Amino acid sequence: MIRRWTSRPERLLPTVSLLAVVLAFAGSPVLTGDALTTFDVYNALQGFAQLGLLALALGITMIAGEFDLSVVGTYALGGMLAVQTGQSSPALGVLVAVAAGMLIGAAQGGLIARLRIPSLPVTLATYIALLGLTSAMSGGLSKSYPNSDATLWVDRTVAVVFSPRSLITLAAFLLAALVLGRTRLGRELRAIGGDRRASRVAGVRVDRTVVGLFTVSGALAALGGALLSYSYASANPDPGLQPLILAAVAALLGGVSLAGGRGLPLGLLCGTLSVALLAQIVTTAALPDYTTQLLYAALLLGAIDAPGLRAAIGRLRARVPVRSS
Amino acid sequence: MTARVGVEGLARSFAGVPAVRDLSFTVGAGEIHALCGHNGAGKSTVVKMLSGQIPPDQGRISVDGEPAELRSRRAAQRLGIALVDQELSVVPALTVLDNLLLGDIDAPMLNRRRAAVARCRAVLDEIGLERIDPDRPLSSLSIGERQLVEIARALSQKARLVILDEPTATLSDVESDLVFAAIRRVAARGCAVLYVSHRLAEVLDLCDTVTVLRDGRRIATTPAGELTVGTLIEQMLGEAPHRLAATRPPDPDLGHALRIDHLHVPGRLADFTLTAQAGRIYALAGQLGSGASDVLRALAGLHPQATGSVELHDRALPLRNPVGAARAGVAFVSNDRKSEGLFLDKTVAWNLVATRLPSLGRAGVIRAGRERRAARSLAERSGLAEHRLDDPVLTLSGGNQQKVFVGRCLGRDDVHALLLDEPTRGVDIGGRAAIHRLLRSAADAGLVVLFASTELEELLELGDVIVTLRDGRTVGRYDGDADGATLMRDMTHGVNAT
Repeated sequence: MIRRWTSRPERLLPTVSLLAVVLAFAGSPVLTGDALTTFDVYNALQGFAQLGLLALALGITMIAGEFDLSVVGTYALGGMLAVQTGQSSPALGVLVAVAAGMLIGAAQGGLIARLRIPSLPVTLATYIALLGLTSAMSGGLSKSYPNSDATLWVDRTVAVVFSPRSLITLAAFLLAALVLGRTRLGRELRAIGGDRRASRVAGVRVDRTVVGLFTVSGALAALGGALLSYSYASANPDPGLQPLILAAVAALLGGVSLAGGRGLPLGLLCGTLSVALLAQIVTTAALPDYTTQLLYAALLLGAIDAPGLRAAIGRLRARVPVRSS
Repeated sequence: MTARVGVEGLARSFAGVPAVRDLSFTVGAGEIHALCGHNGAGKSTVVKMLSGQIPPDQGRISVDGEPAELRSRRAAQRLGIALVDQELSVVPALTVLDNLLLGDIDAPMLNRRRAAVARCRAVLDEIGLERIDPDRPLSSLSIGERQLVEIARALSQKARLVILDEPTATLSDVESDLVFAAIRRVAARGCAVLYVSHRLAEVLDLCDTVTVLRDGRRIATTPAGELTVGTLIEQMLGEAPHRLAATRPPDPDLGHALRIDHLHVPGRLADFTLTAQAGRIYALAGQLGSGASDVLRALAGLHPQATGSVELHDRALPLRNPVGAARAGVAFVSNDRKSEGLFLDKTVAWNLVATRLPSLGRAGVIRAGRERRAARSLAERSGLAEHRLDDPVLTLSGGNQQKVFVGRCLGRDDVHALLLDEPTRGVDIGGRAAIHRLLRSAADAGLVVLFASTELEELLELGDVIVTLRDGRTVGRYDGDADGATLMRDMTHGVNAT
């Protein structure tokens, strides 16, 4: 049973990385001298909420063998739109942001699927264009969000360690896990990532699925941006590259393969939680900022699946003579 | 018998070249109908049209008497047309269970795992995969098992017509028998089956009716009981081709340049032995899965599990090592020039000299002048126009691309054996003749030339010695006295021919 589990990198990797980080988190009082508080857990989950939807948006496109770089652009635009249109009604702001994200995603998906353009150049162009658009909307400055009720609401404590923001993010992951793991659509999405020609021959409507996928990816990224700007009470027109890099780290730690076809939303969840927890450890231990980056790098190198290494271990094992009992 | 599926006046051409012309036939409910024909007869095009992968230029397809519009695979599936494609079309990254359900329009939107596993178990058991756990990733199965999963998928869908295009090419006899039993069961339930295969004995044994295509036209539709392998081959070939060119007789002075002894590739090739002289062309005749191309790939070091002993000019040739094979003087021209051969976006000149860079410069720096001269002389030798040297290979016709590929191996002192897998696949008639001349001149220059092909005309025209293979075993060896019908019988019927 354990052997079967460990033979699937999309399960083994996220489990190992989350276990390692949780152990480190539990052991961090040794470094700091202070006991862990529920507030530390709450904070870690807030970090998870900040990154989660972005990582999910990127991760699901990776599972289908694509790579949506535009998520950070949509994330920024979503935040800006929510702040500008949701001053009196926060729900309306979220709605506008998500609708815009879906529109952008659908347009990209259409280009990629119908014209058979690789996703990298399309989404890179969209990323740059969206950052430009967001800056134009705000005159290049951060835009503050005066509705303090909404700001307080998204981050208020629920059940000791959660907030509406982290719960929404968790719900999105669970929904994605349900769709990918338990529906026909999910199977087809993974099939497309694994082998597009074979999927087409098997009768999967590849083009339509890719368009839908990018639409969902856009919606998730915009929702993430909207929630974040409500939480910060301001929208930032340029979030920089950090969110994209962290989302990619989360996806890779989550066992998603760059070659597509491999990865599970629950794995993605573990990967994202690992990244968030690690950041929290650094904060509580009051370590210098750069340690976070070094730790991410170490975790990534340590946890990444290396087929060449596995093959080498297999060869070594085969060389050791089997003792007959 | 009522017609389940009918085609009438079906036609399709590619870039002006007709592949299927005015084709009509019907398949009745419960009938197993074979589609036979030599390579290029148009079988695959018919399969693609019937399964909704390409639209016909003309003609009508009807299912149960109703005219059918097959715009996509999904549209065909809605009408109950299931397909086992010629190319393996299952997804290694998914589990066996997921693959069995993939594309099944009757699968529920929400997976019901218990029901799905139970059904999957039954489907797997029926095709002889009792030991396969539905939750295993498909990537852990052998190629034959994967093929069985794909066949099981098509047979398990509630189809009105199941199309199987060369389903047994990669299967063992035991596995094939299981597939035949499953096909018979599906037909007994009233499903129509269209069966495409090169294995004629298998066709006659399994099918009720045989339609033979030649050059895209229907030659005959005959009940299988009235046919023998011989009459079927006659229908497929028309007038059987004989040798056209005078071939080169063995020359006792030349000695043996290439000695292949008990070459073995697990699951693909058993015990292949051949001794070849320099200056002669050796042809390996065999269909997909026969082992013919595996001989070449093993000699080129591309089969990591190959065993046996091979000597080239009295020096042992390292197996399982592509760089070692190339150093020992083996040049290999793959049948897949796009992914294993040319750099398509680079120029003709660049490609021609790509394998001889060390001889073109000093201390790792390439001399432009020398490179240019080398490219020019190679282009001349391989019959390529000099003004095309700076064009990307991508813009060349299939024939000219192949000339670049072959030309790259010529005129090198360090090449002693030239191996070619399907040297003229996708090449027009003019290009074909030019490539054949090229190979003949390579042999005349003292190389051992060994090629694998499925095309009778090519085998007869070019091969001084022809070795036929089927199911990984050598069937016959012909030194100057072969005709098309014999080769075809060997390739399709094998050692157990009665």
